[in-house]
Amino acid sequence: MATPENSTNEKLPLQDKLISVMVRFFRTEWSGAFLAILILGISIELVTSGRPFFHPTNLMTILNNSAAIGVVAGGMTLVILTAGIDLSVGSVMGMTAALTGYVASFWGFPPSLAILTGLGLGVAVGLFNGTLVAYFGMPAFIVTLAGLSIWRGTGHLATNAQATPKLPELFDYFGRFNPFSGLRDAYKAKELDGFAATVGGFIDDNWINFFRTFQMSMIIFIIFFILLSFIVSNTKYGRYVYAIGSNAAGARQAGINTPQYTLMTYIVCSASAALGALLFLGRAPYAKSDYGQMWELDAIAAVVIGGTSLFGGRGSLWGTFMGVILLKLINNGLTLAQLDTFWQMVVTGLIILIAVGLDIVRQSRDPEAVRKLFASIGAAMAFFTLLTPASVFLRAKIALLEHEAMTQLLRAGEKLAMGQNNRLLTPNEIEKFQEAISITLVPSLLFSALCLMTILVIFKNTRAFTVIAATIMLVAIIPLFLLDYQVSVPFLILGALALFSSLSIQTVFERAKALNVA
Amino acid sequence: MNYKLIASAALCALMTTTSAMAQDVIGYITKSATNAGWMMINQGATDAAAEEGVKLVAVGPAFQGDLSSQLEVFENLVAQGAKAIGIAPVDSAGIAPAVNDAMSAGIPVVAIDTGVSGAAVTSFVATDNYAVAKVQGAVAATLVNDGDTIIYVTGNQAQSTGQERRNGFMEAFAAARPNSKVLEVPTEWNSQQAQEGVEAVINANADVKMVANAWDGGTMGAKAALENLGYSAGDVKLVGFDGAGDAIAAMDEGWVHADTAQMLYQMGYQGIKAAAAAARGEDVSSRIDTGFFLVTPETSGVYKKMVGIN
Repeated sequence: MATPENSTNEKLPLQDKLISVMVRFFRTEWSGAFLAILILGISIELVTSGRPFFHPTNLMTILNNSAAIGVVAGGMTLVILTAGIDLSVGSVMGMTAALTGYVASFWGFPPSLAILTGLGLGVAVGLFNGTLVAYFGMPAFIVTLAGLSIWRGTGHLATNAQATPKLPELFDYFGRFNPFSGLRDAYKAKELDGFAATVGGFIDDNWINFFRTFQMSMIIFIIFFILLSFIVSNTKYGRYVYAIGSNAAGARQAGINTPQYTLMTYIVCSASAALGALLFLGRAPYAKSDYGQMWELDAIAAVVIGGTSLFGGRGSLWGTFMGVILLKLINNGLTLAQLDTFWQMVVTGLIILIAVGLDIVRQSRDPEAVRKLFASIGAAMAFFTLLTPASVFLRAKIALLEHEAMTQLLRAGEKLAMGQNNRLLTPNEIEKFQEAISITLVPSLLFSALCLMTILVIFKNTRAFTVIAATIMLVAIIPLFLLDYQVSVPFLILGALALFSSLSIQTVFERAKALNVA
Repeated sequence: MNYKLIASAALCALMTTTSAMAQDVIGYITKSATNAGWMMINQGATDAAAEEGVKLVAVGPAFQGDLSSQLEVFENLVAQGAKAIGIAPVDSAGIAPAVNDAMSAGIPVVAIDTGVSGAAVTSFVATDNYAVAKVQGAVAATLVNDGDTIIYVTGNQAQSTGQERRNGFMEAFAAARPNSKVLEVPTEWNSQQAQEGVEAVINANADVKMVANAWDGGTMGAKAALENLGYSAGDVKLVGFDGAGDAIAAMDEGWVHADTAQMLYQMGYQGIKAAAAAARGEDVSSRIDTGFFLVTPETSGVYKKMVGIN
């Protein structure tokens, strides 16, 4: 992002090219979610040891586990593009999964017929929802909120909420089936020769490192999005979806049969939920009617994180694709990083805020908003640096305060519960905490000052002030080393970099305008 | 107007007749109506109510972990004059104010499976999760060598059940295998989270030897994760908690090597028995431990006979 400021004349074309690439990137709806994925991925990479986070098998695992919810969110995108909403997708997914498994296990349906039954159910539900919304003029929110309850209840009723036995093998083709496994098995059985044997050997050698996670889930997931986004951007239907979403009355006056296309959209959405159910069954231990709970929220979150407007008419399927991956990446990455459960909840929310914040800044096309964003990154980095000594300081201080309060209670004659007893300290521990406080007090104060200064930069846009703050950040690396807090050095470097690049944003915007791409 | 009067008069008559012949109403607030383990607990509750001749009003939350709907149901039951309430709180601390109100109004409250923190209850009927988890941890330790990496799938860490199971397991396992690394997969009692988490962690750490689980929904999720990655039974050992039917079936196939079974049916049965006794004004023990059974491939036959799995 930081373009060299003192570039010479012959470098200008390259710089201009960079700027126009950047502008084109930020014009796409999915750039906010994509950046959030990148930032999150890099930070997880930094804190995890062992196999790298960006390893292909890990990425494929994320894609595999995104497949079911991803397809559901894909259908949801179309509904939201028409300025509608479908709250019933989680329930439809659960009911379809349960009934598909049920007829396959207990009614003796051949697996292929069971699968068709499931997809048919999806279409039928879509027909029901869509008719009420499009032809009876009922609000989509209410119709599908009712559906959320109706379809979940139907699934429970029909199957008695009991799990089925393991499903027939045909279902594996929607999930865990690996296209390379046949070749590998043949190689291991020594049935291959010549070129096929070489290929088989290569697959077997790289099985754990690459091929093991190459499964149908992710293949279907990607094909589904390619197909759907092709339909949306290249057919009459796709154009009408956007038209209905941005101005329904106008679309009607222009002669578009809006009820018909709205109905179609709800059918696509419910059918996608049914396909999502099949993808889920392909990886699940059995079929059960409580699958897909709260998926409507995850799907809507993915669509919105992907830059699609809840008011319709603006957005893209690839944005949703990125949104789904971001949500799954958060789960996967935070688990790999072995972050404490409660922290995971907090961090998940923060990442979603960052993704949506990036999107808002992107849409504003305002250089000052972008500058504020960069300054905020600088401030966040200063805050992270502050945390290293300050967290030790606060922990020790709080432990001592809690000990004090508990002794007071004991003195007053109260009986302590088990959890509260833990808060009493031994004299040895008290001494340790007091020592920690005296060591961390000065650095905590110093870095608090730095943190305050960077926060001021966000609100006060003067060149000199920004330069001073950035320089202090770089200089602060020296005391950081002296205090043995090397871990935070990358934070300071990144923060200074963000502040320095915030200086050139105005220039970049002007140049982009001059190039007539903005 | 007239019609309304007649209707309400009829309604009143109906209500008095029913209440005249009605038995004591015992409220039973369950954590889930669709989870396999909970269905066994609920069955025990239903049977106990039939035996005691009380009317059981059973209500579950809209989805697992929904505190607000549990609170609402609790208040409704108190308002409708339930004689006693058996509850499996989704949130130990969150339910406490409502429990306090009921207890001070003279309605006995029996906590089933999960305790209430911050309020006294008439009786707490449950497995001693901490003690059983220590057994689970000690048994799991015998299945691996010191230094092996294992995964532990946790339950909801905002609930005492989840905390006690995790702490008990970790303490006993670490004591027996001090050099082993335990990687955690956090869940909120959701087997999909367990499946995806185990898949991710095993993918990044090919040397994992065992997956221990805080409940059998996690065990089945972990089994699906292993199958998705192409493992066969026994490649990575599974250790369960609950003794649910599907986990025991997986034990017969060679996937699961040990499972500390709670006496789920007993929990619901004794819980409602205690609630009915308290409603009649009898003394009830303040802590009823429903015990556990260690299921291994050797003892699974005995266990299956005991709980009626064939």
